[in-house]
Amino acid sequence: MSFVNNLINGISLGSVYAIIALGYTMVYGIAKMLNFAHGDIIMVGAYICFFICSGFGMSPILGILAAVLVCTLLGILIEQFAYKPLRQVTSLAVLITAIGVSYFLQNAAQLMWSSNPRIFPAIFGNGGIQLGGDLLVPYKTLVTIAACLVIMAGLILFTGKTRTGKAMRACSEDKDAAQLMGINVNATISLTFAIGSALAAIAGVLLCSAYPKLIPTTGSMPGIKAFTAAVFGGIGSIPGAFLGGILLGVIEIFSSAYLSTELANAIVFLVLIVILLVKPTGLLGKKVSEKV
Amino acid sequence: MLQVDKINVYYEKIHAIKDVSFEVNPGEVVALIGANGAGKTTTLHTITGLIRPESGAITYTEEGASLDLAKMPPHKLVSKGLAHVPEGRRIFLQMTVLENLEMGAFSKGKVSKEDLDNVFARFPRLEERKKQVAGTLSGGEQQMLAMGRALMSHPKLLMLDEPSMGLSPILVEQIFDIIAELHKSGTTILLVEQNAEMALQIADRAYVLESGRVVMTGTGAELAASEEIRKAYLGG
Repeated sequence: MSFVNNLINGISLGSVYAIIALGYTMVYGIAKMLNFAHGDIIMVGAYICFFICSGFGMSPILGILAAVLVCTLLGILIEQFAYKPLRQVTSLAVLITAIGVSYFLQNAAQLMWSSNPRIFPAIFGNGGIQLGGDLLVPYKTLVTIAACLVIMAGLILFTGKTRTGKAMRACSEDKDAAQLMGINVNATISLTFAIGSALAAIAGVLLCSAYPKLIPTTGSMPGIKAFTAAVFGGIGSIPGAFLGGILLGVIEIFSSAYLSTELANAIVFLVLIVILLVKPTGLLGKKVSEKV
Repeated sequence: MLQVDKINVYYEKIHAIKDVSFEVNPGEVVALIGANGAGKTTTLHTITGLIRPESGAITYTEEGASLDLAKMPPHKLVSKGLAHVPEGRRIFLQMTVLENLEMGAFSKGKVSKEDLDNVFARFPRLEERKKQVAGTLSGGEQQMLAMGRALMSHPKLLMLDEPSMGLSPILVEQIFDIIAELHKSGTTILLVEQNAEMALQIADRAYVLESGRVVMTGTGAELAASEEIRKAYLGG
């Protein structure tokens, strides 16, 4: 495989991480919690799309829409039942609960859909675009990269320009002050979970298009890597999640191509450790000094 | 306009507010003064619903309708004409000055140019810095932003918590001038202050809080003249 080919694959994988990381980072920014069940929502999204497309033979667009819809509802439900009652307690309790939700989703998936691997259909077709010589860029890769760019641009516009998006940022900074402005903080948190989970559904479909083996734990490793990407880029920052995701994907693909396939994951996490030692707030992490 | 009737507030086991009652009538400036830890901020937080009282009633009367604030979610207050400038300003430090003001108008739905111009006319500094991130403002500018943000919602009752905190004497004068102007233009004001001297100068009436109880009340002038108040809060 050529260097350019590896680079494109890295960016493509990184785009998936980035989409997941955007959900992680938004939920963290607003709810100040690490939603470790985020990765498993990816898995649910992929299964929904799989059943709609392979099971019922319906169009991939319908499959993606159904995945987004189910995951959005699932995200809101999880927040309502698992996290909302814990708003006033220590963050450790919320973290443990999130891990619990993660196991719950994995085991529920195993119970309903068994742990036999399913092969995710090639919903974006098998073709690609020939870019000179032997360089063929598959459609799924193009769709993945494009989806990531569109999502990131959309989120930047949403949080920067719209009234609801700004209210979201206000909530992420100071919930009490936001309430005094008339912002419904609970509704804002629900909305954030809804957006994050919808993104997870899209990420699930894109991930399984590239790596078609679908099992109930499919989402957990990409979930952890996307979390790494979010921290790497500076948790809470939207461009940070994007940058972190892309870099992580490229590092992972390059490590397995040029160094060692077995060590690729170890290298990815090593990079995280080094970055955090040098710059604890992540690449684009914000540190605002407060004037008294 | 605002009637606080025998409220009791607890932090876990600590009885922070004990049978506190007071009222604010339309058009008044009412001050709550007292030392650090007397329960002034807790009282304001209870009014806006950030803390709930164990017992007692808080009634807000506006255009003939009476609202029980002890049961109302905090985010619904501002659309009823009640704005609270919290202690420590609590502006959104990572957002720009303009965005902070927009958040102030959140309950209005749309930000009107006229409201923005009004705030900028009152605080010209904010207009100069409208694109700047609020965290880069000086302490005085941040206080102005906090007040400007509250004004964006057209409050009928403006509650200010320690607006003079951490400001130089000149800035304190400025802030109090603005409070007096707001009062003149018809805004009812509930002012919480440690700076009793300044507060009593502009207050129509004042209540003195001590360890969670109202220990004294009177007009601003009466309290400023009282021997006890002079000794305890006005430095002789």
